[in-house]
Amino acid sequence: MLTSKFAQPKPGLLSRINPLLKIGLCFLLIGFALALHRLEAIALLAGILLVLLVLSVRINLKVLGYAAIVLMLFVAFSSWLRDISTALTSALQLIAIVIPAPLLAGTTSPADLVRALQAIKLPRFMVLSLMLIWRFLPLIQQEAQRIIESNWLRGVNLARQPAHWFSGLFMPLIFRIVAYADDVTIGLETRGYDPTAPRSNSQPLKWRRTDSWFAAGAIGILALVGYIEWVA
Amino acid sequence: MRTPWRLRDYVFAAFMTIGMVIAVFIVGPFAPPGFQLLAWSPLAAIFLTLGMARLQRPGSIALIVLPLAVLLGLLSPLITLYLAVTVIVIEAVLYFLGSYRKRINRLIANVLFFASANLAGLLVLIYFSQGLISRIKDPKRADALTHVIQFINQPGTLILLTILAGVAGAVGWFLGELAIKQLQKAGKMDVDV
Repeated sequence: MLTSKFAQPKPGLLSRINPLLKIGLCFLLIGFALALHRLEAIALLAGILLVLLVLSVRINLKVLGYAAIVLMLFVAFSSWLRDISTALTSALQLIAIVIPAPLLAGTTSPADLVRALQAIKLPRFMVLSLMLIWRFLPLIQQEAQRIIESNWLRGVNLARQPAHWFSGLFMPLIFRIVAYADDVTIGLETRGYDPTAPRSNSQPLKWRRTDSWFAAGAIGILALVGYIEWVA
Repeated sequence: MRTPWRLRDYVFAAFMTIGMVIAVFIVGPFAPPGFQLLAWSPLAAIFLTLGMARLQRPGSIALIVLPLAVLLGLLSPLITLYLAVTVIVIEAVLYFLGSYRKRINRLIANVLFFASANLAGLLVLIYFSQGLISRIKDPKRADALTHVIQFINQPGTLILLTILAGVAGAVGWFLGELAIKQLQKAGKMDVDV
């Protein structure tokens, strides 16, 4: 089966943590970020998440630049609506809400994710779909980028010529996607994969000592953030 | 549990979901704020149409959209809930109309999906705008935003925007059918549609 270097997480502490713990923490962090209102508390949480993201995930500079521009526009619009303090609070809150998902995605290998999804008894078709989306989204995105660059080489700037989107971008992309789907199906069938059959697991999910330390650290940070927000 | 779906159906549905997500990345930078969903609709509808044409059975939209709903649940569980409800409504309607083998049923499913998605998005915007307006200190700015929300909140505007989203879904259906013809010519869509 085709694989992607993007599908492999950067080795580090977070990639060794129990994926179920990371999924649970991801939801907890998003809920926590929504409940915060004080600038200092949100800044601490967003700062820690940003540091973890930079240390644990390979980030494309183009994506980072685009995110920074969107964030600046968001701050400018929020400042116009109210004031700079509220705008900063909202921007940091947005960072704290948005980062947990890519942090989870960037530090979890597809195999770990599948094990976690199987452990929470999601329907088998859902596990297979999520695994394929997780693994092939970056590849298809790369294909789309290649098609856009091929258009540039032929003098077609798709950003300025939306009339060419269907014939110049989407039709070739659809052909690539359908070809990938057929290849993956053949790959899975030749390996005897059956989505309805019960599956064995050579590396079942286990709770390790590092998971306990990580959970304790996360609770400690959330307690500190909560103290700044509601007590201090 | 016995299921009418085969492995190739699951894989194809997952790749159509990827296509819908890629359409977001392609359209996002070019669409003006507030119009992203309208701009995304015709492109996402291409993949939804392809998925329905290849899978054909009732439940095809659920296979394509539910994994997307679960993924978007990481951003907000509200999105998951809303998408799940939309899928159930469409599948219920199509249960009475028949399978997705007929072109007209694929058109109805597309129009229903994108019109209801747009309408729900606007209603959520109106609901949350009440809280935002009450927090704006400058009365002039609060008034400006209130006027915009009041404009959107009119039944006429809501109906017009919902119809526009439905039309965008229909355009996507048309493009999707063109793509199906091209795939059939190339021998990549070996189903009777």
